[in-house]
Amino acid sequence: MLKKYISIMRGAALAALLMCGASLAAQTTATGVINGTLVNKNGISIQFDTDPAGVTLGAAGTSAATANFGTVSAFGPLAAGVTRPSVTAANFTVRTFFDVQVIQGGLTSTTYTLTANLAAAAPTGLNYKVDAITLTTALQTIQINGAYHTDIAHNLDLVILTAAPGAGGPAVNTPITTTINFTATAN
Amino acid sequence: MKKVTLLTIFAALMMISSAAVAQTTASGTLTVTATVTGSINLVFNSDASGVALSSGAGTNAATLAFGNVSAFGAISAGIVRSTTATNFTVSSAVDVLVTKTNSVSANYSLTAQLGSVDAVNTWTVGGVGVTNAAAAPITATGTYGANSNFPVAITVPFTTASGTLISNTINYVATAN
Repeated sequence: MLKKYISIMRGAALAALLMCGASLAAQTTATGVINGTLVNKNGISIQFDTDPAGVTLGAAGTSAATANFGTVSAFGPLAAGVTRPSVTAANFTVRTFFDVQVIQGGLTSTTYTLTANLAAAAPTGLNYKVDAITLTTALQTIQINGAYHTDIAHNLDLVILTAAPGAGGPAVNTPITTTINFTATAN
Repeated sequence: MKKVTLLTIFAALMMISSAAVAQTTASGTLTVTATVTGSINLVFNSDASGVALSSGAGTNAATLAFGNVSAFGAISAGIVRSTTATNFTVSSAVDVLVTKTNSVSANYSLTAQLGSVDAVNTWTVGGVGVTNAAAAPITATGTYGANSNFPVAITVPFTTASGTLISNTINYVATAN
């Protein structure tokens, strides 16, 4: 009788342990659904990149970059990435290259038009050209069929009069800074 | 009902109009900086009265070849010769053109110096003796933008063996005043 009682108790204890184990293994879960929505707005962006043949741009990869020709003269040495394609009695030209990349999303447009203008009148004795187009404060069309999502190289020329300062030539030995505004418009 | 229809049409037209005039544009700025400095440039040109430069005319690395010269024999056109009891001198006009840009400098100074020693012959540029020991001042008031003739002359002793090649380099330096 006692043995039977002990046996029953053992069985009860084992069952209790198994139930406890099952309880420990159980996970409490909950589920939910979030309905996310977005509005896909189309648009384009422009950025300036350093061209392998040009000067290294400051803030490359952004829409507000800087290009520094360094010290330039008609006959002296030039910085890396700057060339001097012409020297005449009246003026000389120094040239560098920069890349423009325009990215579009959500548009059916396949090309863009690039325009540029000087933010202010050119300093005395200097003219600025992009792809041989002389810039003014008025918008000038630089390219009408730019391809998206790729770097497109452009020439940037500074045409500098050889005249002395005060005689029509530019100021010397001081940095001369000009801002060029670019606008890309989806075609 | 008619009013609602009209309003719907009006709204649709407004949307179409808005889409038609909208342009997708992006803008950026490139700030460009340069520092202009004054500079001068020196080139050699053949002088009409002298020996034509055999190479490098219009550059800053030219060659003046007198050819065969002697104290008493025939002499090439463009060479001026003078003879003393112990030596003879051959001379040719050579033009130096110095150009300035972006500078208020009024004139330039010019010096010349032999590239290597010559213990036998005497060299002059513009009448000024030049050696390899130091740069000799040729002019202190050179005029920009005009060919200036600074004759190159070599005085050769009679003791020099026939067939001797005389060759040297003259280094010119123009400095803006």
